[in-house]
Amino acid sequence: MIPFAQIRTDFWTDLPGSSSANLKIIVGLLVGIGVIFALLRMSTQFRRPLIVGSTFIAGLYYILLWLWPKPIDRDPGEVATNPVEGLGFWLEDANPAVSQVRNIIAAFLIGLGVYSLLRIHVGKIAKQQKDWGFSLVLLVSMFGMAGVGFADWASRQGPEGAKLDNQANWGAINYVQDFLFDGLLQQMDAAMFSLIAFYILSAAYRAFRARSVEATILLGTAMILMLSLLGGISYLSDQAIEKMGGTDPNAFINNFRLTELAGWIQNSVQVASIRGLQFGIGIGLLALALRLWLSLEKMGNA
Amino acid sequence: MKNPATFAEKLQTCPKWALYLLLITVTSLPLWVPLNVPNKPKQDAMDFYEAIWKIPEGKTVLIASDWTKSTRGESEGSFSALVRILMRRNLKFAVYSTGDPQAPEVARNVVAKVNRERRAAGEREYKRFEDWLSLPFFANSEGTTGGIGNNIRAILGNAKDAAEGQAPASVLNSPVLKDVQKVQDLGLLVNVTASKTADIIVERLYGKVPLAFMVTGVMVPETSNYYASGQIKGLVGGLKGVYDLEQLMQYGINWQGPDGKTMVKSDRNGEVPGFAVDKKFLIGNGTMYYPALHGAVTLLILAVVVGNIGMFLGRKGGK
Amino acid sequence: MDRYTLIKTGFGVLATIGLYSVLYKENKFYRFWEHVFLGLASGFTLLVLWTDTLNPNWYKPMMGAAAEGADPAKPAYWAYIFLLPLGLMGYFVFSNRHNWISRIPIGIMLGLFSAEQISVWFNRYGSQIGDSLRPIVPTTWDSLTKPATQGLTPERIAEVNSQVYLSQAITNIVYIVTLLSVVSYFLFSFEIKSKFMVRFTTVGRWLLMIGFGAIFGSTVMMRFSLLIDRMYFIWIEFLKQGVLGQ
Repeated sequence: MIPFAQIRTDFWTDLPGSSSANLKIIVGLLVGIGVIFALLRMSTQFRRPLIVGSTFIAGLYYILLWLWPKPIDRDPGEVATNPVEGLGFWLEDANPAVSQVRNIIAAFLIGLGVYSLLRIHVGKIAKQQKDWGFSLVLLVSMFGMAGVGFADWASRQGPEGAKLDNQANWGAINYVQDFLFDGLLQQMDAAMFSLIAFYILSAAYRAFRARSVEATILLGTAMILMLSLLGGISYLSDQAIEKMGGTDPNAFINNFRLTELAGWIQNSVQVASIRGLQFGIGIGLLALALRLWLSLEKMGNA
Repeated sequence: MKNPATFAEKLQTCPKWALYLLLITVTSLPLWVPLNVPNKPKQDAMDFYEAIWKIPEGKTVLIASDWTKSTRGESEGSFSALVRILMRRNLKFAVYSTGDPQAPEVARNVVAKVNRERRAAGEREYKRFEDWLSLPFFANSEGTTGGIGNNIRAILGNAKDAAEGQAPASVLNSPVLKDVQKVQDLGLLVNVTASKTADIIVERLYGKVPLAFMVTGVMVPETSNYYASGQIKGLVGGLKGVYDLEQLMQYGINWQGPDGKTMVKSDRNGEVPGFAVDKKFLIGNGTMYYPALHGAVTLLILAVVVGNIGMFLGRKGGK
Repeated sequence: MDRYTLIKTGFGVLATIGLYSVLYKENKFYRFWEHVFLGLASGFTLLVLWTDTLNPNWYKPMMGAAAEGADPAKPAYWAYIFLLPLGLMGYFVFSNRHNWISRIPIGIMLGLFSAEQISVWFNRYGSQIGDSLRPIVPTTWDSLTKPATQGLTPERIAEVNSQVYLSQAITNIVYIVTLLSVVSYFLFSFEIKSKFMVRFTTVGRWLLMIGFGAIFGSTVMMRFSLLIDRMYFIWIEFLKQGVLGQ
């Protein structure tokens, strides 16, 4: 089988590994770096229009995707008959590419956090500041995890990689990766989150007081909800009330079972109050989203 | 309060170390002594179980697994129960993540654990690539979820997974996704999450594919909104939800078990069977942890009550 | 439990106890494990960004691939290279003089996100608005509360479900009053002078506390579940199954 036989090439695509593809990539990279150098020298008056323009054009895609007439029952390979339909087709076809671009840019930007961590801790080690030993521990852990993890990932590519799903086929690097990830990282992640349980208990004991109307309502609702979450307690209380009502499932007293009370509070008041909160937040979000898209929010000087 | 003298002050100044020790004790002891806690499953958990059971044969389920071991106490139980039910129903599923880079590996480990259980019970193991897919982590949740709604095959087109002994291949060639041309071809999308991905999924996929959520306790109040408005078919919330689901897996809904008893009755649901004969599958996280939760919550309620009694006695004494 | 798993679990317990030592007070043992945790988490993030996102979605499509097994050949989309300088522009946030350049990729992401939020707003809230329009007038006085439907015929169940009973009407009134009062509480951008509205927003604040009480209760359940899971890991997985071999 000729490996590239079915590839059609145009200006935007090329044969994989070909010299023209590699050349285009290098030229593209140089152009990109050239753009960055141009930006470094850009006059102040052009900065804000550039930022506002790129923000607006980026957002315009989704607004058009939402408002422009959508193709209905579109056949594969169908050609647009007019510009309106043509734009609709293009918006639909571009969606996966736009999602990919968002993923890729987001991945580069997530790296900012890691880079920031590196800057701080390498600086601490270089200047031998207080507790620089812990910074060294952090960097060793970081590069150890990344390096071992990459080696483990590389070992799982290729036809032999799937055999590593069975622990009996593991090599040293797979054991080390499993030790670092499952043995340490995952357990410490869980431990960090569980610490809050102690603080909740301590804070509830010391500060949760019925000092005002609001605090009393909050306290009372929290107690009812927590009791209703305990199946044992709600089951026993329900049984006791059902006995009082006898065999009639419509007995009025059955409305006072803990599960009924908690369910009524949840469906009538809790859902309503949280929904009201969400509506308030939603209206604010809509206004903020519009302001962000139109760059009406002042976020420092360009 | 320095040198508490009155009874009211003493009630309000229990040392932290004593509270912490009590908490460790009440959460640890029940783990050693298995207890069967009676329970009435909530309506949202019953609707969730019924929604899974009603997925048509041959349909694929897409699972957005956005949890890590930081919320293992609740999320692992949810995810394990979900995988057990899907495997019991012989439904193919694909697992992806947009919430956390650690999520795909954590999910793979749980599927491997459930497969080991099935192997030990003489049940067929689920084969990677043939029966289920492990899709990668996608860094941008909004873009990926929106893309899934518009063109799922394009979004997943670059992802690869491998069957045992085979090289990684495009997931679009897998039997799991070959009949899925658009998101509407999925039987259900389940989000197992400890983060905001639930909101992102409702915003972009509601109306395109049936949705069901399994969330941690802290997200239950806001996610209940979606359940109340019918935007999701069912909701498993927190440890209580996990325990409810494990009970439903055992007793079904309106279903007469092998012992002739109908343990769980509901006006709003039809008849949905349980797996009463396979009890060994059902000792999940919910069943193990629920008794300990009783101890912990009771301790908190007592602590709050004691603190408030101290406050009221202190006010009374001061008058 | 095999020896490797026992050692792995043992180190996990040691790390857990190290982090729990902060409950006593801040100490170097805790700080050591805290830094190990941060290092492992950031290292893993770095790894997954490449293996799960950049490699399959950026590098491989940019370089293309030959046909392999059932996978057809893929062309090299060389234009993906432009995303590298665009992403790297974000790193100018650390420059004092040129940090405005970082606002270009951040602005693009913000523009995409905020415009999409506008378009999906109704998908999220529309059904909730619809669900909030509930009947407040009873349609039957046969019973004050909704009867239980166990043992009834399907036709009778359908008839019961189609009616609005007095208890349901009262519940719906409570629901609507709660919703409106809570929403009115959030209209703090307007100065409210009317006495009725001031009292109404106060009622909204009280009813909002019920929602917060529910959030508190659920949060408590979740945090305790995480702690119980850690106790299970230490006492059962490590001690009982590992050390004692039961």
